[in-house]
Amino acid sequence: MNHRILMAAFCFMATAGNAQDVRITTFKSDSTFALNDQTFTVTRNQDTQATLGSEYALTSRACPPHCLQPLIVADGVATFAELEVLTFLEEHVTGGTGLFIDARSPADYATGSIPGAVNVPFPTLAAENRYRDDILRALGAVDKGDDALDFTQAMALALYSGGPWSDDAPTAIEHLLAAGYPAEKLFYFRGGIQAWAHVGLTIQHSQNPG
Amino acid sequence: MIRTTVALFLFAIVVCGLIILRPFSSGEEVAGDRLGTPIETDVEVTRAAPTDLAALAEAATAPLVTNAATGLVEAPRRIDVARPNTDDTRLSDMTNNVLAELGFAGVETVTTNSQTQRRSTSDILAGIEAATGHRSVLEESETLEAIVIAALRAGETDERIDTIINEAAAAGTVAVPEILVTSDGRVDTHVLLNNIVTQAQIASGGAAPTVPEVSPDNTAGMEVRVVQRATDEVEARFYTVQNGDSLGAISIKFFGSIQHYETIFEANKGLLSSPDRIRVGQRLVIPQLDA
Repeated sequence: MNHRILMAAFCFMATAGNAQDVRITTFKSDSTFALNDQTFTVTRNQDTQATLGSEYALTSRACPPHCLQPLIVADGVATFAELEVLTFLEEHVTGGTGLFIDARSPADYATGSIPGAVNVPFPTLAAENRYRDDILRALGAVDKGDDALDFTQAMALALYSGGPWSDDAPTAIEHLLAAGYPAEKLFYFRGGIQAWAHVGLTIQHSQNPG
Repeated sequence: MIRTTVALFLFAIVVCGLIILRPFSSGEEVAGDRLGTPIETDVEVTRAAPTDLAALAEAATAPLVTNAATGLVEAPRRIDVARPNTDDTRLSDMTNNVLAELGFAGVETVTTNSQTQRRSTSDILAGIEAATGHRSVLEESETLEAIVIAALRAGETDERIDTIINEAAAAGTVAVPEILVTSDGRVDTHVLLNNIVTQAQIASGGAAPTVPEVSPDNTAGMEVRVVQRATDEVEARFYTVQNGDSLGAISIKFFGSIQHYETIFEANKGLLSSPDRIRVGQRLVIPQLDA
C-alpha cells in the first residue's frame, strides 16, 4: 500500500517536470516570428529557481547619465511592455512593416540583445550624422525634393535600450521625431533588455554584421 | 519681590497691547519704500494696457514676409550668414591624410571622425538590410581631403584652390572642419594650406612653429588690459573678430599654429556655441598658454 502511493507520487512529479512550467501567458508558451526568412523563437527560462546575474542584476547605475525615464517619452509615441513587443515582432516585423531597434551602442548590443532586434545606435540618428538620411531611407523614407523626406511608407519602429534607466531609446526617438518621423509609427519599450532578462525571456548573442 | 514681578508683567502686557493695537498710529499710507523713494499710489499696474497697434507696426522697420503657401506672416529673424557644412573631422587628421596620400615619408594615414561615422553608418545599413532584405546604398560624397589632394597634384595656385573649395562648400557637396569656417561664411583655405605646410615641416623633422610676438601695435582688433588681482597683475588679451577670420586663423595669429584653437574655444564657450559660429565683432578672450 505504502509502496503504491510512493509510485503515484513519483509519476506525478515526472509528468510535472516534462510539461512547460514557465509560459509567457496561460495560453502562450512561446513566440515565433520571422525576420527576412530567418525564424526566431522566444521562450522563457524554464528554471524556476533562476535569478538574474551579472549586468542585468545591477540596480544603481549612476544618474546622470542613467536616469529613470517616464512612461510616455513623447506625444503620440506609445509605450510597450513585453507582450506588446512580442505582438509587434509577430505581426509587424514578420509582415515586413516594422522593425525592432536596439538603440544602444554596438558594444552593448554585442553583449546580448532581444531576438529580432537590429542595432541602430542612437547617435547615428542625430542630425550631426551626415549619413542619417541614408539610414532613414533604409527604414523606408522616400525623398520628396527640397532635402525633405516622405515617411508615409516608412516602417513602424519599436525601440529599446538598456532598461528604464537608459535614455538611449528615448534619445533615438527624439532624434527620429526631429527628423520628421511620424510619432504614430514609433513605439518605446521602456523595460528594455533588463526587463526582458528579468522575466527570463530569450536573449540572443549576436554581432553586428559587417 | 512679587510686586516687582507683577509690575513688570503688567508693563509687558501694556507694551504688547500698544504694539498690536497701535492707538497712536494715524493710519497714513507708507509714502516711501525702504530706500525712501516715494511710491506713487495712483499708478495702476495692469497687463491689459491698451497698446497702439498702428504705432507698433510702424516701429517695426523690417518688412514682414508673408508665406505665400500658408498665408502666415513670418516673424523677422536675425539674418545669419550661410555657412559651409561642417563635420567633426579634425583639420590635423585631414592634413595628415593629405600628406600621407601625397607620399610624405613617415606620415601614416589615420581614420578621421567622418570616416568613422561613415563606417558605423554602413554597418547599421548592413544590419537593416539583413533584416528587411531591401538593398540600401550609402551615398558617396566628395571629401575635402580628395579635393585638396587633387588640387595639389594638379599644381593649382592658392587662389585657384580657394575658388575650388569654396565653390564645393557653397554647393553643399563637401563638409569642412569647423575651425576653417570664417566669420563671413567662407572656407579659410589660407589656414588649410598653411597647416599643410606646417605639418609637412614637422613630419620632415622641422621645428614646430613658435608662438609669435603679438601686440596691439602689430595686430588689428587686439586689446590688452591689465587686470589687478589680489597678489599680482594679470594681462588679459582680447581680440575682436575681423571680417574673414576663422578660429583656425586666430589660433595661428596668436599661437603660431592651429593646434591651440581649442584653448581659445574653451575660453570663449559662453560666446561661441561651436567653433564655426564665429561672427564679426565678437570680442574673444585670448588666454595665455600654460608653459
